[in-house]
Parts: sequence; C-alpha cells; structure tokens
Amino acid sequence: MAAIPPLARSKNLRACLLCSLIQVPNEFKKSGCPNCEEILQMKGSADRIATCTTTQFDGVIAVIDPDQSWVAKWQRTAKYVRGMYAVRVNGRIPEDVELELERRNIKYRPRDQSDQD
Amino acid sequence: MSDEEDHRMFQNDEDVEDAPGAEEDVEQGDEEMNDVPNKSQSSRRDHGEDGGPEEGEEEEDDDDDDDVDGEDDDEAPGRKARKRAKHRHKRSAVSRFLDIEAEVSEEEEEEEEEEEFGAEGFITNENEVDDEVTRRNHALLDTTRHFEEEDMRSPEEIARAVARRHRDRAVPYTGDMNEIPQRLLMPSVHDASLWQVRVKPGRERDIVFSLMRKAIDVEFTARPLNILSAFQRDSLPGMIYVEARSSKQVQDACNGLVGVYPSRGIQLVPIEEMASLLQIKKKETTLVPGTWVRIRRGKYVGDLAQVMDLTDTGEDVGLRLIPRIDLNPRDEAALDAQGKKRKKGVSGPGAVRPPQRLFNYEEILKVYGRKNVTKRNMAYVFQNDTYKDGFLEKDFKASALITEDVNPTLDEITQFTRRQDGGDDNIVNLSAIAEASRKAAIAVLQPGDHIEVFEGEQAGVHGVVDEIAGDIVTITAQGLDLDGQKMEIPARSVRKRFKPGDHVKVMAGQNADETGLVVSVSDNVVTFVSDMSMQEISVFSKDLREAAEVGSGSNIVGNYELYDLVQLDAQTVGVIFKTERDSFRVLDQNGQVRLVQPHQIAMRRDSSKAIATDSEGHELRINDNVKEIDGEGRKGGVLHTHQAYFAFLHNRDITENGGVFVTRTRSLASLAPKGNVIKPGADLSKMNPALVAPSGGMVGSGAMGRGPRDRDIGTTVMVVKGAHKGYVGTIKDTNGSIARVELRTGNKLIMIEKEKLYRRYPDGRLEKLSHAPKGQGGPRGNTNPYHGFAAPSGGRTPFNVGKTPNPYSGDSRTPAWNASSRTPNPYGDSRTPAWNASSRTPNPYAADGGRTPAWNVSSRTPNPHATGANASAVGAAGGAGGWGGATPGRTTGGWQTPGRPTAPTSSAWGAPSNGWSPPRPTAGGDPWNSSWGAPTPAAAPTPGLHGGPTPAYGQTPAYGAPTPAAVTPGVFGGSSYSQNTQQKMVILDDNWIFDKTLVNYLQRLKIRVVNTKGDQYLGGDYENETGRIMAAQENPGVFQQTARVRLDKTGEERSIQAQYIRPQLPKYMEEVVVVLTSKDQEARKGLVLVVRDHPDYSGKEDPGDGSTVPVVVSSKATPADIDQVFASTIVPLYEEVL
Repeated sequence: MAAIPPLARSKNLRACLLCSLIQVPNEFKKSGCPNCEEILQMKGSADRIATCTTTQFDGVIAVIDPDQSWVAKWQRTAKYVRGMYAVRVNGRIPEDVELELERRNIKYRPRDQSDQD
Repeated sequence: MSDEEDHRMFQNDEDVEDAPGAEEDVEQGDEEMNDVPNKSQSSRRDHGEDGGPEEGEEEEDDDDDDDVDGEDDDEAPGRKARKRAKHRHKRSAVSRFLDIEAEVSEEEEEEEEEEEFGAEGFITNENEVDDEVTRRNHALLDTTRHFEEEDMRSPEEIARAVARRHRDRAVPYTGDMNEIPQRLLMPSVHDASLWQVRVKPGRERDIVFSLMRKAIDVEFTARPLNILSAFQRDSLPGMIYVEARSSKQVQDACNGLVGVYPSRGIQLVPIEEMASLLQIKKKETTLVPGTWVRIRRGKYVGDLAQVMDLTDTGEDVGLRLIPRIDLNPRDEAALDAQGKKRKKGVSGPGAVRPPQRLFNYEEILKVYGRKNVTKRNMAYVFQNDTYKDGFLEKDFKASALITEDVNPTLDEITQFTRRQDGGDDNIVNLSAIAEASRKAAIAVLQPGDHIEVFEGEQAGVHGVVDEIAGDIVTITAQGLDLDGQKMEIPARSVRKRFKPGDHVKVMAGQNADETGLVVSVSDNVVTFVSDMSMQEISVFSKDLREAAEVGSGSNIVGNYELYDLVQLDAQTVGVIFKTERDSFRVLDQNGQVRLVQPHQIAMRRDSSKAIATDSEGHELRINDNVKEIDGEGRKGGVLHTHQAYFAFLHNRDITENGGVFVTRTRSLASLAPKGNVIKPGADLSKMNPALVAPSGGMVGSGAMGRGPRDRDIGTTVMVVKGAHKGYVGTIKDTNGSIARVELRTGNKLIMIEKEKLYRRYPDGRLEKLSHAPKGQGGPRGNTNPYHGFAAPSGGRTPFNVGKTPNPYSGDSRTPAWNASSRTPNPYGDSRTPAWNASSRTPNPYAADGGRTPAWNVSSRTPNPHATGANASAVGAAGGAGGWGGATPGRTTGGWQTPGRPTAPTSSAWGAPSNGWSPPRPTAGGDPWNSSWGAPTPAAAPTPGLHGGPTPAYGQTPAYGAPTPAAVTPGVFGGSSYSQNTQQKMVILDDNWIFDKTLVNYLQRLKIRVVNTKGDQYLGGDYENETGRIMAAQENPGVFQQTARVRLDKTGEERSIQAQYIRPQLPKYMEEVVVVLTSKDQEARKGLVLVVRDHPDYSGKEDPGDGSTVPVVVSSKATPADIDQVFASTIVPLYEEVL
C-alpha cells in the first residue's frame, strides 16, 4: 500500500517515472517508491527524487484492487501496490536506470504513452 | 438504507478495525524491514482473528482459502465470499514477501502448501500461478543454497548476507508485464466495466482521491467498496470513471461524496472505448526558446509572451512580455513598500487592467519612488519582478500558458521588436516573426508566384510555382544551371520573391490593398512605395502579390467613404483621408489625425449646403481651387467647409494625411479669378420679362442658389420592403443610406433605408431610387422647370410651357428636384456625378480635373472661342467638358456626367458676362431660362447678360425651327439646356473613348485634340491636331485618363489626357463611321455605318461640333436603307486597322 497523498490539489504531487505512482515528495523521500525503490533508490535522496519523478502527469487513477482491475492491467500496474497512479507521465527515467533495466533484460516502457503497441 | 444507518454501520466497522490496526503497529515494531508488505499482510488477516504466530496464521489462511474455494465452486455469490476471494489474491500478490520473512525451517510446509495449490488447481489466474510457482521455486532453491553455504560462513558473513539480501530484494523490480504488447491488454468481457460518473467540474481529482481513501477506510467493514479502480482525465472535465462490476457498486461507492452527481446517470463505457479513455493524449506543443505563447490567467491574461528559457522538466518557463504596470496607483496605500495591497487592488474585481507599456525607469520612479526600484546588472527589479530592456522577464508555470493557436499578430510582434532594434539581445528578429507566421505562408502561395528557396539543399534557387500539393510545392527553377528544371520543395522553405521595381499589392494585414512599387527587398521583408500615400511601407513578402492594378482598393468602409466629412462628436468633425480595412484615418478640424472606427462616427455631414466665404468675400464652394494667402501658401481643392470657418482642402501633391489639410476659410483665396463681379443686388431674372411669370415667387426664395442635399429629397416614393411596404410618401431628408419619409397615410415620418424605396411616378410606375429620374435630363435641364412636361409633349417649341403655367401643379415627380433645378449653379450640379450611381467616374475628384480647366477657359480668356470666328473652336470649348452640350436625351441615358459637360459649356457661353460664377446663381440661371422662354428666336434674351453677340444667338432660331423634332439641330449650348428638342445627341464625357461599344474600333477612331489652349495643356501646342488612338486603358479612380495618340501631322506618338480627345467630324463620302449614340435609344450605338453623302458644314448654325449637321449614312449591308444622323453622333474611322 502506497501512501495516499492527503491533498489531491497539492501542487507538488509527484509521479514516479517508472511505475507512475503518485505520492508527495516527502513520502518518496521517506520510503522511496514502493514499487521501484529497488532500482530507483530514491529513499532519502532529493536529487534522485527530482530526476526519477515529475509533476508533469495527466490523469489520476485510484487503484483499489490492482489484481482484478483491468485499468491496472492496462496501465501495467497490476503487480504494484495499491495507491494513486498517473495515467500518463511526461519524461523518461534517467539514463543509468535505463541501462540497468537493459542489463536485467527488462523492457522499459516510458509512461508518456509514446510507444503503444 | 438511510444515511444514518449507513453512517452507524461505517462507525461500527471502524471500531472493529481498530483491533487489527493496533496489532499492525505491534508487528511493525517487530519487523521494521518493510512496512508495505507488512501492511498488506496485516490487512490480509481476518479482523476477527488474533494475531497468532505466523505459521498458524498461514495455515488458517490456507483453510480460509479452501473454504473460499469451496464457496466459489458452489458459486455462492455472497459478499463475504468475494471479499475472501479478494483477500486470497491479495495474499498471493504479496506472498513473495512472505517467502523472505518465513523461516527457513518451514520450507516443507510451504512445499506442501504449494502442492496443495497445484493439485487443487483452484487458482483461476494461471499467469499468477506460474509466476507464483516459479518464484517460490526460486526462493526454495535460494534458501537451499544458502543453507548449504551457511555452514561455511561466519555469523558475521551470514548477517551481512541477510542484510544485503533483504535490501536487494526488498521490492525487486521485474517489469514482468512490460513485455506484453499493449494490444493484448485490451479489455475482455471478463474484465470489470468502466462507468462514467458526472462530477463537479474541477473536483475530478479530489473525488478520485476521496474514493481511494474511502475504499481503504471501509475495506474491512461489513460494507467495503466493491470498486476496483477509479480515474480521471484532465482532458475530460466534469467526469470520472469507476471500474466496477455493476453500476450499483459504483452508486454505493459514490454515495456520500460531495461533488458527485450519480443522479445524472452512471453510464457504462462501451468496452471498445475503455482503452481510448486511458490513451487520450494531449496534443503536445514543445516549447523552445523563442516560441510565442499566451498567458492563460492573471493580470497578463491573453497577452503575448515569448519563451526565453525553460527548466529541464519543462515545468517552469521563463517568459518575456510587455509589462502592465499601473502608473496610476489608486491610493497612497498602494505605494506600500511591500506592494501587497496594491497587488490585491490590481487583481481585485473592478480593477482596470493597466495598459501594456514597456518598463520605463523614469516613469516608475516618478510614480513609485526610488526605493521601490532597484537596478541589478542591466535589469531593474520592481515589485519582485525583473524588467530588462523594458520587458518583464518572469517565470511562469507551463500550465499557465496557452501554447496552441497563439497566432501572434504582426502588431504584437512588432511591439517586441521595436524595443530590440538597438539592443544586444536580438532574440526576436524579423525572421523569428516570419517563423511564427510561416504556416500561414504556405497558404498564400499560388501557382505562378515567383518564389525563392531560402533553406535546405536547394537554398538560393528561385523559380515559379507550378503546383502545390499539401506541403510540397513543385517549382520550375529559373537560373543558370537549373533553368527549366522542375523540383519539389517543402512549402515552408520557399518564400515569395520580389525584386525592386515590381508592382505589388498587399493582400493581408494592416496595409491590405495598398499597392506600390518595390524599392527594396531584404530577406522576407519587402519595402515598397505606396501609390497612394507615396510613403514607404514594409511588409512581409508572404502578404504581397504582384499586381498591375493601382489604387487602394475600396475607399468605402461601412457607410462612409474617402473624403467624407464626418461628425466625430458634438464638437468635432473631420475628413476621412485614408480608409483602412475597417477603420479610417480622419483629420479633424483642429488638424488632429484620428484613427476612427466606423461606429465611432456619429454621422456623415453634408457640407454642400454650408456657406463660407474666402478672404475676398467670395463664396467658397466645394471643389473650388483655392490657395492659402498666408502660412504655407498651400493650394488645394475644397473638400468641405465647416461652420464657415474651417475648410478642408485636398491637394494630391501633399503626401501628409493623404493630401488633406485643414485651414481657415478666411485665409483662402480662389485660384480662379472671378472678376466682373455682378452686384448681388442685381436680380437678373427681373430683367427678363419672359422669366418673371413662370418662375414667379420662386425667385429669391430660399431654395434659390442652393443645391439639394440629396436630389432624392422630395421624391415621391413607395416603400417596397419591410413593415411599411406599399406605403407612399415623400422623402423629407436623407442621411447616407437612410431616408426620412413622410407617409401620405397617417402623416407619419419614418426612417427607412433608401434601398427599400422606389421612386413613384404619377402614373404609378416604380423605379429604383438609384436610377436617375427619367425625363429629368441633364442637370442643366433643371434650369427649365417645365422640361418634365416639355418632354412628353414633344417640346419642340418652348411655348409649351404656356400650357402649364404652374410647373409644380402637375409635376409631382420631383418638386424638390425641380426647385433645385432653378439653381443654375454649376457647382451644385457638379456634385451630381458623385451621386449618380451610373456615373462612370467613381471619384469625383478625378473628374474634377476635367471640369476645372473648362472653368479656366472662361475665366482666363473670356470666351475665346465663342466670340471667335472659329465655330468649331466654340464647340471645342463646350466639348471640353461635355462635347457639344448636346441635349442630354431623356431616353439616351447618356448623361452620366452631366454636371461636367454642361458646366464648361455654360462658362463658355456666359463668359462675357461671367454670369455663371457661383456666387451669383440667379444671374446664371436666368439667361438660360430666358433664352428658353424667349417667345421668338429673334428676341435675344437680355443681351446685356450675354454681353455680346455670341454665335449662340445665331442659333436661337433653332427653337423655332420648323424642322421635325427628330432632325431639329440642337442648338449648341442652348440645346444642352433645353430638354424639349427630341433629337438625340450625345454628351460625350471625358472618357468617351473608353465606352465599351467602341472597344473594337478604338484604334481606328479619328480623333482630334481640342480645348488644350485654354488649359494650357501641353502649352496648347497640340490644339486641333488630328490623329488616332494607339492605346488607351481606363484607369480606376483618381488617375487621369490618358490615351496614347499618334498625331497625323508629325507622326509623333504621345499620351494625351482623354478629356482633350474628341472625335473628328466625318468629312467625305464613303467614310466609315461608328455610331456614338443614336436617336433610337442605344440600339445603334457602336454600329458601323458608311457616309453616303458629303457632309455639309457650311451651315451657319453649325457651332463646330457637328451637332447641327445632318449626315446621310447607311450600313454596308443595306446601302439603300439610308438614314440621317448628326455629325456629332458619329465618329469617323480609319479604314486600315493597325
């Protein structure tokens, strides 16, 4: 379960560039991204948060039941924790993360809907 | 279920949940490693259960699962079952974490469990099972391996390994679903549906968040939310989408949330539209420095701004824009150093937005004081904003900007460029502007345009556009190497090409319709000298087109026209001297130039009634050529006078304000000497006994000496459209296109558009107002109040008048008009062409040129021709204006420019006495009336008036001539005033050679040059030269009409103004002629005939224009069918064609 930001209106909601989870920056700092911390390692690092998350996102999804939800499946967040996700996130993860994904043979799918196959 | 109950329920649920919550806390203390899986784990527990040892719990859970399984198999649809199912899945989702936390010693049990799972195969999601199994197997292998290794390692190592293991595998990112193509994720019938729910616009995101929180809150209550997800899109305002199995579940979920309107319908999203809801993508506009944007909100809303820089994320954009600083802060409080109050005031309601204005340090200092403005290297800081080069430089959020459809106008962009011309920072240059409007440039290309390629591989090539297909332009290259080669070029890489000397027309923008000659070209900015204003104008080449035409297009905007006198406000009037696309430049009486929109004009003023006198006490009339006696000594024609004090003059040689200037009437002197002033007291009409009776009381009445404001005034009309259709009335007044009509019925005055009115004749016929009233003849005909009757009654003799002593009694047609007809003042009439719809000279001022010289004829050399022996010269004098002052036939309709032709004629005649000079209209009027009313031709009317035995008197017998009307030779001059001769003679206007019926014979016309002596046109050297026209092209508007003439004598070719060109007279038998006009209407006009008999010009009466000389003609086809026409109605032709 991700931390649900207390204020929807908050200007500084940030979305993870890799999994599109939305949290307030403090949460990212405190515990990183619950889905991608292992690879993004944002915990405690404001810089890292700045590069791996963004405020430029569109559409908010409340994923209540990731396993059953088609929306979560479509968004490829079905395996992630419950929480607020963005429909579309502008930007790409930093290059080092991209390289790391490549090394692990994981296909990187940007969240900006630039490649839809 | 009522809300209250619901609420209670909700409370109970919460109470119950308290227990596991506390327990969770405890557990969290135990396992600090990762609270997320922990949470999940705790949430997985049944809230009724105690938090026992983990193994026990596992087992119980398993049991639970089994139960669930059973229930599922039985297809018992209870809520509990579903809930449990959910829990089970939850568990499986997080079970990977359990592997880590589970103690190694329990491996076996796990295995069994695993087997159980597999054997029973109850997991519906096979993907998950596989996943689960492999993961678990991996974990197993892992642990086994660790086990093996453990023995050989020190406890420290083991601890480190554990720590590492925990860290690394905290949440392993697998991206396992990333390999699946998106299309395989399309929704199927097994997936839950999406439901569209209406919400309060602007609250979409809050509601999605609320749903999430609510779902978490009530998760373990008796009534958890059964929705799977909910989402919102920024591009779909006013709605959210909820994923659930049924609309009831959505309803339940939304219950109690503020801003949700389930009553407005919860609509199912069709399965094929589900994916697109999540795929909606905002059209992205990438901002780069230099881009134009607009501000979305705040003080600068709608203002154009230019992007200076961007942050990496694109969230903040540094903009440069024109500041709006309030230079009149409302109160002293606004001057607070903090400026907070002021800020409030600006944004508050009712506050007027300060105008855009570049930052001016001195101004700001004056208003806000020195301490509020600080200077920081090259820039000023004022109220926390930075101003540089006069611009405000400020960071805006990208979301606060409009990036699409910015469409900056040239005006806006020039505001940005203006300041930067001298500056170092030349981010905006003209090419940047062109960039902005480049898209538009594609649209303006047309096949045939000369273009050049300014970028890309073919840069520098120029050629002609062959075709345009989308963004690709096919051109035929011109130039050395590539000549004739066709190539395809992207449209955005080409621009129109002009070279100095090209004649161009502006197609769009502020200067639209200007034409001129290109003087310089730099990149895509072309500078040309306007034909109209003689000023240099710079425009983008894209807005230009090569054009041969001259002039400034239409001079009419709305109801107002160039050179109209318009009322701007109660105190101000002005003259329009330039029309722009939808506005005017107006010079007011104070000499101020104003830019005026049509709606700002109260009304058009008619100054033709205005009376003003010049410095010598002479009356100033419109179109008088006058000169300033002091000051700059400017000359010009009077356009308008205002309040007898101001005169608006026009002189085309003055470039400023389109040649219009305003001066005081008292400092003006007429250019045309008026000499021989007749004492105002002398009422000439009284000298003429013949006139006294008919004109009676009209003499000296108010109507005398004044032209009508509008000759439609007084017309009996019928309303043909609108509410008053069918009503008959009389026009009382007109203003522009609106007439005030007094209806006969009900004595009512209505305002109505003139186009809805038709002139009504006494016999009931209707005719458009714009047509000249039939039977009115030329304006000079108006000197005869009886013409109306004379005409139908075959006014062969003037004595008909006796039958109708009262001209007004029966002539209900146009009494007012007739009243004005008393006004022999040529000036009054000279205005007529402007009113005459059929007038061929659209610009009254152009035609003006034609008249004025004629005036000069009479004034400078008092009647040189009339008194001379050369009769033809007299004709010439008359002809200068109207060619022979032939009777404007009532039916010929050939009196398009009636004022003009007659005016000179009259002057020629009246020259000795100067009886026509404007200040003495009555004097001018009477001679004609008197000659008219002369009972016998022998009785020369008031000889003193005419001053001498001019040939005219020789002709007066014509009135009594016994010849049939059809062939009665019109009396030169006299005939032009008499409407009662039925012969159809032609009044040639100055541009007769452009008559469309003559087009085919233009180059064969035998013409002569006349009337140049008086005007000193070309020194009069060409007077009476004969020749033929080589070429003539009618120029629009204000330009002098000229024709290229080859002179017979010298063979010289030169341009001669059309007004001096008259036809020769037929001289010999078998000469081919073309009919200029004919007695039987227009039928024979343009017909080619052959002279069958030698024309006899020996007749004493012939004034020289052939108007009295009958010529026997017949057509080539039917030589026997002879006819007699007047020499003046035909033009001889050269046999040979050029």
